[in-house]
Amino acid sequence: MSAVRLSTTALASMAVAALIAFAQPVSAADERTVKIAGWGAKSGPLRSFGVNSEAVLKAAVQSINDSGGVKLGDGTVAQMEFTYYDSACNADQAISVARKVESQTEALIGIGPTCSGAAAAMYGIFQKTVDDESDTGLQFPILTDTAIRPGLAKKSQWTFRNVPNEITMYDELFAWLRAQYPDAKTIYGGTETDQAHSKLTFAIVIVPMAKKHGFEWVGGGIEGVTGKVREGYENVLEVSKSSNWLMADTNFSVQARAFKKSGADMMIVSSHPFTTCGMLKEMKRQRIKPKVLVGLTSSSSAETLKGCSAAAEGMYIPTGFAPITDAAAKVAAAAEANGGSADLHSAAAWENAHIIKQVIESTGIMAKPETLNDDRRKIRDGLETLVKVDGLMGDIGRVQDEGESVKPYVFVQADSGTWKVVHDPR
Amino acid sequence: MSYYLGLVQLIGIHTLLGLSAYVLMLTGQLSLGQAGFFAIGAYSAGILTVIFELPILPALLAAAAIASFFAFLVGFPALRVKGLMLVVATIAFSEFVRLFFFNLSWRVPRGDIEVGPDSTNGFREIRFFVANGWSAWEITAFVWIFVILVMAALWWTDRSRAGAVLRAVGEDELAAQSVGINLTAVKVTAMTAGGFIAGIGGALYAHTATYVDHLTFTVLLATFAIAYPILGGLSSVFGTLVAVIFIQGVLVEGLRFLGDWRNIVFGLLIIAAMNLKPSGLFDARTAQVLKRAVGLGGKD
Repeated sequence: MSAVRLSTTALASMAVAALIAFAQPVSAADERTVKIAGWGAKSGPLRSFGVNSEAVLKAAVQSINDSGGVKLGDGTVAQMEFTYYDSACNADQAISVARKVESQTEALIGIGPTCSGAAAAMYGIFQKTVDDESDTGLQFPILTDTAIRPGLAKKSQWTFRNVPNEITMYDELFAWLRAQYPDAKTIYGGTETDQAHSKLTFAIVIVPMAKKHGFEWVGGGIEGVTGKVREGYENVLEVSKSSNWLMADTNFSVQARAFKKSGADMMIVSSHPFTTCGMLKEMKRQRIKPKVLVGLTSSSSAETLKGCSAAAEGMYIPTGFAPITDAAAKVAAAAEANGGSADLHSAAAWENAHIIKQVIESTGIMAKPETLNDDRRKIRDGLETLVKVDGLMGDIGRVQDEGESVKPYVFVQADSGTWKVVHDPR
Repeated sequence: MSYYLGLVQLIGIHTLLGLSAYVLMLTGQLSLGQAGFFAIGAYSAGILTVIFELPILPALLAAAAIASFFAFLVGFPALRVKGLMLVVATIAFSEFVRLFFFNLSWRVPRGDIEVGPDSTNGFREIRFFVANGWSAWEITAFVWIFVILVMAALWWTDRSRAGAVLRAVGEDELAAQSVGINLTAVKVTAMTAGGFIAGIGGALYAHTATYVDHLTFTVLLATFAIAYPILGGLSSVFGTLVAVIFIQGVLVEGLRFLGDWRNIVFGLLIIAAMNLKPSGLFDARTAQVLKRAVGLGGKD
């Protein structure tokens, strides 16, 4: 066999092998299982999001099946099954997986895609308004965990989220810090400006909420920042431009010097764990010790403690998850047993699986191939009518018009390598 | 079915991206600026359909024209550098474009919401297709009309004197110049054509994805743009298509079931492919074999 033929055959074999695996068959029609799909970043720099989310989802599905399964509309009790896909925190891939799950599987609902950017992109391909026949977007319900950037779910009536409300959390956090640190007057901070969640939360939520509770940006405050969400947003980014960074940055000396020079009582590091750790380590190296250190919700995770527990010591963060109830502790242990970690992002996957069970049982889902589209619609309608659901830390309220949630939260502080709950406003 | 059609759309769009680099590579230029032109096409077309409410076709052609204009402008300074220096210069251009859109905020009210590029928050609501009731089949056909037109144009060019001129410059600039070929005109034309094709691809991408942000147009996208023609081979436009199918269809989508191992296997298969077919997946020899197979004759 010539080299050309050999190489052509080898390449063709690889392609065929991949395509065979790629064309996963639709399950047999007579199986009465409740299928759900999850997807998120299982590769790339935000891989931990997907790994944690999958571990928690696996534990949740197992717990549902161990307790008997899901009761269908005709009284049959079915087991729940899930498949988790890697969408790599990438818009193209999240869209592709959403289309695949909608058209090639019998999944009743999707949980994903972990990253806010991917979610923002993915939500756009869904039908905006239910029953609008002129809109050919996907008609498939989504209940997202993890992706926390404000205001995403209202893009489509098929998309729902179960993520914390940062406005409420930071409002309460600064009110509490005001009481704890009456001498603290001034604030200073920075954010990773190429990450929409970090940047927006910093500029439109954190700084205004700090102002609302009497903390003033060093140097006499920021024009336009009145204490209301979004007001003065542009000016916040303008005055903090020498202390901001990008997600790929590895050197924070200039930003840390700006922090040090500010001499503020309270310092805010609004970024994801990777650059939060870089910044905190540099602050520690430059011996910057503010009276109060505040972080972004996304950094209240195991990654921060693994990466820089010493540098993060004392940092306050509001979070929608902490193992402070029996249920939450059980989920944390189950996630760890599955090779992941339950945190404010991933713990929602547990709640989502149980919310889906609740909706299925209340809307008479049949879980048959011929009822697939009806079932998906019923789940969507069921999610929209929810007012309150059980969460790991208490009741979760639903904002029906927007597909969003209002979750209970606590304030944690980095303390000797753990997140210690310092205030529980529930 | 919408999944497979979505995949076919993506393959078409990435083929355009790869072909935009292919044109330049024929002249021996390696550019990582294609992601920048793709971004210009995506944002321009999005702005035209969302803010100015133009229909898709004029918006797409205008976006491609804008991208090609910028490619034309980049073409002149790029003439002063070659090889790795050109790669660095075009990366700089791509990053400049990406950071421009990273900072661009142009919001206009539309009903009860605001639409338009929103800086880091990205550019949402580019929903011309779905909002106007286009089916997945229609969108796919629309995308592939452009892919086929571009491939046909390049295929024809390759067989004309213009194609011979492009390849002559790519093979040996000095020799080409010595027979009277105007290097400036050829290179700038190739850059402009590449920008036009990337602009079409970007415009189609924005409307099929419905959302773009600066993170869509990183160096990784630029790397894919040059990887397609390199992996597929420069002997024919079909090489780029084959490479896109191999990467996007087989490696990215087909290996998704491997989970964490996907990226490792992805890399190994690329290395294997380049070793087994060093002249490209669709090299001249493969083209001859295929021609014989379909009865078009030809000898080795």
